[in-house]
Amino acid sequence: MPDVEIPIEKWTGKVKEVKLGGGGRKEVVVGGEVTLPFLAFEGSNPNPPRIAIEIHDKEPIAWPASLLAAWGDAVKDPGTWAKKAVEFGAEIICLKLLSAHPEGGNTGAAEAKAVVDKVLSAVDLPLIVLGPGVAEKDNDILPAASDAAKGQRIALGNCEEKNYRTIGAVCLSDGHIAIAKTPLDINLCKQLNIMLSDLGVPADSILMDPDTGALGYGIEYGYSINERLRLAALGGDAMTSFPIINHAGGEVWRQKEAKASEGVPDAWGNPEERGVLFEEITTSTVINAGCDIVVMCHPKAIERVKATIDKLAGK
Amino acid sequence: MSKFIATSAIRGAQGIVAEADELLQDALQKLGPDTPIAFKDKAGAGTTFYLPVIYGLMGNKVEKLGDLVPVMEHARSLLQPLPREDLWLPYLGETLDAGAATLFAFETIEGIRFTKGEQPEKRKDGFEFNGPISDVQARSWGIQLVDGRMPGFAAIVGAAKSNEVAVKIVRELQSKGQLTFLCADNNGRSMVDQLLEENVDMGYDTYIVPFGSDTTSAIYALGFATVAALSFGGVAPGDFRRILLYNKFRCFAFVLALGPVDDIKYAAAAGAINYGFPVIADTVIPNILPTGITRYEHVVSMPFDDIPGKDDLERAERLVQRCVEVRGIKIKVAKVPIPVAYGPAFEGEVVRRADLAIEFGGKGGMCFEWLRMKDLDDVEDGKIEIVGPDMDTFEEGSKVPMAIVVDVAGRKMQKDFEPVLERQIHHMLNGAEGFSHQGQRDITWIRVHKNAVAKGLTLRHIGDILHTCLHNDFGAIVDKVQITLYSDPGKVAELIDQARAVYKERNARMAGLTDEAVDTYYSCTLCQSFAPNHVCVINPERVGLCGAYGWLDCRASFEINPNGPNQPVLKGRVIDEVLGEWEGVNQFVLEHSNKVIERFTVYSLMDAPMTTCGCCECVMAIIPEANGVMIVSRDDYGMTPSGMTFTTLMATVGGGLQTPGMMGHGKIYIPSKKFIPVEGGIKRLVWMSQNLKEEMAEELKEACEREGVPDLLDQIADGSAVTTVEELLPFLEEKGHPALTMDPII
Repeated sequence: MPDVEIPIEKWTGKVKEVKLGGGGRKEVVVGGEVTLPFLAFEGSNPNPPRIAIEIHDKEPIAWPASLLAAWGDAVKDPGTWAKKAVEFGAEIICLKLLSAHPEGGNTGAAEAKAVVDKVLSAVDLPLIVLGPGVAEKDNDILPAASDAAKGQRIALGNCEEKNYRTIGAVCLSDGHIAIAKTPLDINLCKQLNIMLSDLGVPADSILMDPDTGALGYGIEYGYSINERLRLAALGGDAMTSFPIINHAGGEVWRQKEAKASEGVPDAWGNPEERGVLFEEITTSTVINAGCDIVVMCHPKAIERVKATIDKLAGK
Repeated sequence: MSKFIATSAIRGAQGIVAEADELLQDALQKLGPDTPIAFKDKAGAGTTFYLPVIYGLMGNKVEKLGDLVPVMEHARSLLQPLPREDLWLPYLGETLDAGAATLFAFETIEGIRFTKGEQPEKRKDGFEFNGPISDVQARSWGIQLVDGRMPGFAAIVGAAKSNEVAVKIVRELQSKGQLTFLCADNNGRSMVDQLLEENVDMGYDTYIVPFGSDTTSAIYALGFATVAALSFGGVAPGDFRRILLYNKFRCFAFVLALGPVDDIKYAAAAGAINYGFPVIADTVIPNILPTGITRYEHVVSMPFDDIPGKDDLERAERLVQRCVEVRGIKIKVAKVPIPVAYGPAFEGEVVRRADLAIEFGGKGGMCFEWLRMKDLDDVEDGKIEIVGPDMDTFEEGSKVPMAIVVDVAGRKMQKDFEPVLERQIHHMLNGAEGFSHQGQRDITWIRVHKNAVAKGLTLRHIGDILHTCLHNDFGAIVDKVQITLYSDPGKVAELIDQARAVYKERNARMAGLTDEAVDTYYSCTLCQSFAPNHVCVINPERVGLCGAYGWLDCRASFEINPNGPNQPVLKGRVIDEVLGEWEGVNQFVLEHSNKVIERFTVYSLMDAPMTTCGCCECVMAIIPEANGVMIVSRDDYGMTPSGMTFTTLMATVGGGLQTPGMMGHGKIYIPSKKFIPVEGGIKRLVWMSQNLKEEMAEELKEACEREGVPDLLDQIADGSAVTTVEELLPFLEEKGHPALTMDPII
């Protein structure tokens, strides 16, 4: 048998490292990759992908019974929910301030600050805080959320083309990390990174969220954008070399296949197991595309994805 | 720099530094070096930025009186002697240093006053000045400053000509979202007095903040600017260069000096200029017009009574408008102010004859639009003039002549952008409900729906739409927009000749705009979201393959959005002139195609042609049997001699592939002088879509004549007679098509 020589790719670029937490809070470092994920023979990536667990500032209204049942009463209070997330293996807590949405309660800056305070005092994990995604509303409440967490280096988002200046400036002022969100387009992603950098946000304080679709809802697109960003970063492009955050869980649990329990063919199987599988597969896929933080929802899927990460990392 | 100003500013700085020094020595003696100093506003809210200008520019934390000693030492070291009478040296540097020293002295003086309980200032009549801005307020305003909701601030020094003018100035500033800071009086009278007498509320809530009655209180304005840079610019204390640059580019502030300007005010002005904040005075002082430290002019004198205007109120409005221009502030209007709905949903709307209220242009009518660039002084922003009868006087369903003349001015406006902006009129006007616009230049055809007129739409609203949209969409290049609408037939007839002369001139300019005449091409990577490796390189003689982006459009687009999809591509060293291959272009394409496309020629179809995304208007493919090329357009659904329809061809060539022998391109590339010159140009064209041939007959005929083959158009087959290669060859032979006898294409 002749020896087979494994081709080794030589990359010139490196993904930047971003540290979340500190100021009395646990620290988690993401990024720093020198090659594609889990290719230990090519290079040593210093930080594994991290799992963040998604919690909301109010009881979820659109979650299916199978997902709600996994969390029980914890979803009624963000502090309790955060503690439970720690039990389920969260490495980061991702708090979504959904009640601030104009059509979902329209709460203001004071409420946002209060809930951030609550979660901060409930757990000592690093925090990601997201607004409702309505630019004007985000501008209104995120500065207050940011102020509440000053010095504890949370990730704050989303910065979109419309409001990146406001959120970026607040991050700068309070020492947080800006999450740059773009809709599945590598050039828009890069452009927003450039604009945030122009604003003065340092390179170690940006996370990119290039978006994804769930399995069956354009995950190919999501995979491709994430992979292209990573390839560009490893190829030496500084403006794509930020760690990637991905909301695979949230995307999955919006879809019919993860939610429906009635009126679907028997072959679809047990609704809970089906949803968990959708989340597991979507998340593992984007991890293989190079994502650094995956935000997940179902404890079972989380457990399995953790096991997958360990296995791929050779643990 | 004006020597007069330099001399005054340096003299003023020397005076104020000496005064601060004296005050400090006295305070040190009486109160002791350990007396604490902390800035607070009148409500007692403070700051964590110490004395912010000193902290920001020097990095020194002043917490007690003794900490001011090294500050004053530094201020003294910045002072230079006055420029000598008989010597004309460059003294900009000395003046700016004197300005910085002045700022340190001002802040020192105010700091000392705090230790004595003299700040924030209270007047004898009970009025309390605000004093320095607190951190809480600075954060709230600072965020708005960064994200553009608030352009900046106006630091007003002195008093206006009258109370009426004072109120007008403040209202104008408020309407532009500008903060107003009031500091310093003239012989005991200030704008604060004027506003108090007119019962104008002052305070954080009304965006009018009275700092104090001395010029020294102007330091609080610069303190605010410094805190903004430290908080939201990520600048470290002491990094004075970045603090000043941050303010120059992000904080649209200026100083408005009302009334006489003394040495101390000149010195303060020099300090403000360090931050990039220009000074506009309403009295006669020397101008400093060249740009440099500030974005545009440094010092502008606008003697109030000489400002054109029918009364003082109009003069006040112009004065503020001029301030806004000098600082380069852009104002956005949120909503198009018209009585009908406005939005992209109405763009495809058709106004039928039965619903027609009025029609401009069209068959047998006369309507044209003409956008022209003028000097800033010759355009009055927002002015909309109607010459002739208005909408409500027209007979229903009638056809009326119309001229839409748009005058624009802007610091970054270029003559070449005129047609780029003019073409947007179509898109802008179509957004209005009940309004349909077709064509451009002198073939414009506008129809207005009865319902729109019933809702109150008048000619003025055409102006409103254009004014709002040009500012919102092209604010980066347009500062002022003025619109005149002519419905007077005599005027329209008179102007149309002038406009036609301009169109002709522009055509000639376009014809002269050749690939050789420029050293920069432009890229377009708009389509990379679905064709990741595709890069359009757009040269003056080849439009982007979608047909939508020409070289000039890209140039304008780059001005508007420097980080956007249209980037300049420097041609660099020529590798092969005939093929159109340059080092700079190759390098750019390699970098922007994910390192996939290594070579790229501009002039060849066979050797490293441009990649194709998915948006091309046409696809060109070689027909080896005919020794030529065919072109099928997107709107042709039929079969072609290549054996493939447009759709099948697209699937072969699209998605960012480089396919020698096949290439997507725009329609107007066909008559270009640079149409596949390496392969022999238009003479290679053996087949094309029938609709394309008809649609472009005129341009193609001209191109054929230019290339010395005037009969070529008839020799080119099209879909009406030929759809297979078997039919094509006899057709070409019968017509004697030149491609048959040309060198082999492969």
